[in-house]
Amino acid sequence: MSVHDWIDFAKGPLFAFTFLVMVLGLLRHVIIQVSSLITGKGRRLRSAPWRRIIADALSWVIPIRHMTRGTVIFSVVSFLFHIGIILVPVLLIDHIVMWEEQLGIDLPAIGRGLADVLTLFTIAAILVLLGFRIFGSRQRSMSSRIDYLLLVMILLPFASGYAAGHANVNPLSWEAMMLTHLLSAEVLFVLVPFTKLAHIVLFFFDRISGLHWQLRPGAGDKVAHALFGEEAKV
Amino acid sequence: MPETPEITAATQRTLQGQRLKYYIENEPAGDRVDQFLRAFAAVLEFSDYRPLLDSYCTSSAKCNRCAVSCPVYLATGDPRDIPCYRTNLLLDIYRRYFTIGGAVEARFSRSFELTDDVIDDMLEVFYRCTACRRCTRSCPMGVDHGLITRLGRYALSLIGIVPKALQVSVREQLEGDTHNTSKVPKEALMNTLEFLSEELEDILGVTMTFPVDQTDRDYVFYCAVSDYLMEPETLMGNAAVLYAAGDWDKWTIGTGNYDGINYGLFYSDWHLENIIKRLVAEVTRLRGRNVLIGECGHASRSAHDFVPVFGGKEAYPVVSFIEYTLDCIRKKRITLNPDIITERVTYHDPCNIARSGWIVEQPRDILRSFVKNFVDMVPHGQENYCCGGGGGLVSVDEIHDFRMEIGGRVKAEQLQKVHADIVIAPCANCKKQLKELVEYYELPCKVMGLHDLILKAIEIPGAKSPAERAEEAALLAV
Ligand code: SF4
Ligand code: SF4
Repeated sequence: MSVHDWIDFAKGPLFAFTFLVMVLGLLRHVIIQVSSLITGKGRRLRSAPWRRIIADALSWVIPIRHMTRGTVIFSVVSFLFHIGIILVPVLLIDHIVMWEEQLGIDLPAIGRGLADVLTLFTIAAILVLLGFRIFGSRQRSMSSRIDYLLLVMILLPFASGYAAGHANVNPLSWEAMMLTHLLSAEVLFVLVPFTKLAHIVLFFFDRISGLHWQLRPGAGDKVAHALFGEEAKV
Repeated sequence: MPETPEITAATQRTLQGQRLKYYIENEPAGDRVDQFLRAFAAVLEFSDYRPLLDSYCTSSAKCNRCAVSCPVYLATGDPRDIPCYRTNLLLDIYRRYFTIGGAVEARFSRSFELTDDVIDDMLEVFYRCTACRRCTRSCPMGVDHGLITRLGRYALSLIGIVPKALQVSVREQLEGDTHNTSKVPKEALMNTLEFLSEELEDILGVTMTFPVDQTDRDYVFYCAVSDYLMEPETLMGNAAVLYAAGDWDKWTIGTGNYDGINYGLFYSDWHLENIIKRLVAEVTRLRGRNVLIGECGHASRSAHDFVPVFGGKEAYPVVSFIEYTLDCIRKKRITLNPDIITERVTYHDPCNIARSGWIVEQPRDILRSFVKNFVDMVPHGQENYCCGGGGGLVSVDEIHDFRMEIGGRVKAEQLQKVHADIVIAPCANCKKQLKELVEYYELPCKVMGLHDLILKAIEIPGAKSPAERAEEAALLAV
């Protein structure tokens, strides 16, 4: 197989497969959450303060209201990072063609210039976030290998994609860069449902702790009886 | 004695070493790891925490944004006080021992293992956190550290690890003779009510006999039972409002249960539910129509949020006294004289009713209606800082130094900056902690309940006017 065959394979079946893994993996999270909420909370779901819950979740789309002392720089960087990783992969002209071919979805594209700027911003944001994790003692104390690894894994498709599109900054051949770009993105797809990146869908279920404060009636007694017998004492 | 509560890098360094230790009645004997896992398994089996834990386990970003919102972390700068650090202790256990992914991972790699050291760590950090939930508002994922802290405490309590002060109180409330946390027998309650009547007669010049065990009333009244011993002014303020509004024959205190305290909210689903059930049973016995909760943050939240959950057919509406008073003012059923309170007054939001509740503007509306010089702390409302005694910590005497030096330090700093003469805190727990803070840091302000202040300004038909009362009080003070 020539390198072009590899690229075609990565663009075609491999893309479809890894993308499917991501979508199904995320769907699985949603189904588990929704079904356990329905069986666990039942009727109590109806009386939940949905408006407040949704308003609160939406308020994080542009988190200005939440930028308090000590969180401002992080919030701005993280915001740019998220904008980049959502917009560029979805709306870049070359991707639009792929969506069309593979999934039959027709989306409007953003201009190349804008896409380039966004990509560079995203790369810069990733480097800053990585810097926080490496040099910020507080963040370092909280980070494990996977937290660094994921940032690098997100950096790869952006950096390689940019290099593939700009011959003047590309140290390798176009083919090698393109293949790196495709494969790293596909690895990322597979990682999404199994790592913290699953917050793409789970962030909403994280936010509804208000529902989880509605404890299950009778559960406390059952726990006590199971552990200490029927005559359980305080 | 510290000069100032201000937090500097140097104070942080000295505070980092300060441990939190509380008395435990019966230290668990034998293998604590095994016992803990069994207890946690039982909780997971019968309650429905799993979906939330699954979600947190997978998606917590470890971004650290929550750290700077926590008053404990701000005081110490210790990584162990980062909200996400503590939450991850429990999540790691859940992931490793109660999910398939964790089990598989453990097979193939050296993964997390629950040890005695981890139990010791949890034993401390779950009580360094007051479960105030401030950090939840700054977490982009919305991870509810208050809920996790509480769950961790719950599992620990099932193997016997719980501050003795809390356990003894709950035992008395659920299994003791007096059925209340302060062991106030019925006779003592009656004596106190008589004393309050006499005091009210002295102050106001009208006779009010407290209604006890009256049936078919609109409101059955619950306050933190400790108020009967320690906060007579608050109770007299409550009584004055009911009397002035013409509702004196619409409420009652029940002698079967007169304690609104529910420490179950702080550490145990088991106790939380049974205390709620006892509370509604008394309302049913008296054929009351509403639960009226006095000035207490956690009592208000536990009744308001959990009577509907655990009350079943007896899920009576729960009214907080603050809402009741504001309603009386709005409907012009009571009048507060705006010329009596001249001091500079600020308001401390109890976390349980502000951030985790529904009471933020109501008390401010009340205060602004009769206090000329009202000022808010920065930040306040749902962004307020916990007093440092939340989550039941204020009842644990042996951690006084921790509460002063660490837990309440940011609050003390806030109090110092606001320059108020009076800080209003409508909560038995907050009041106790704030009084201790004011004394510890020698802050020039007085801590009071909301209705203590109302008592001074309320106009009561046929009684002495507020101005007369103020004059008399001034004379007495001399
Ligand atoms: S709940 Fe309060 S005390 Fe606990 S970690 Fe969060 S901010 Fe800190
Ligand atoms: S802000 Fe939320 S996601 Fe970030 S470290 Fe704290 S708990 Fe974890």
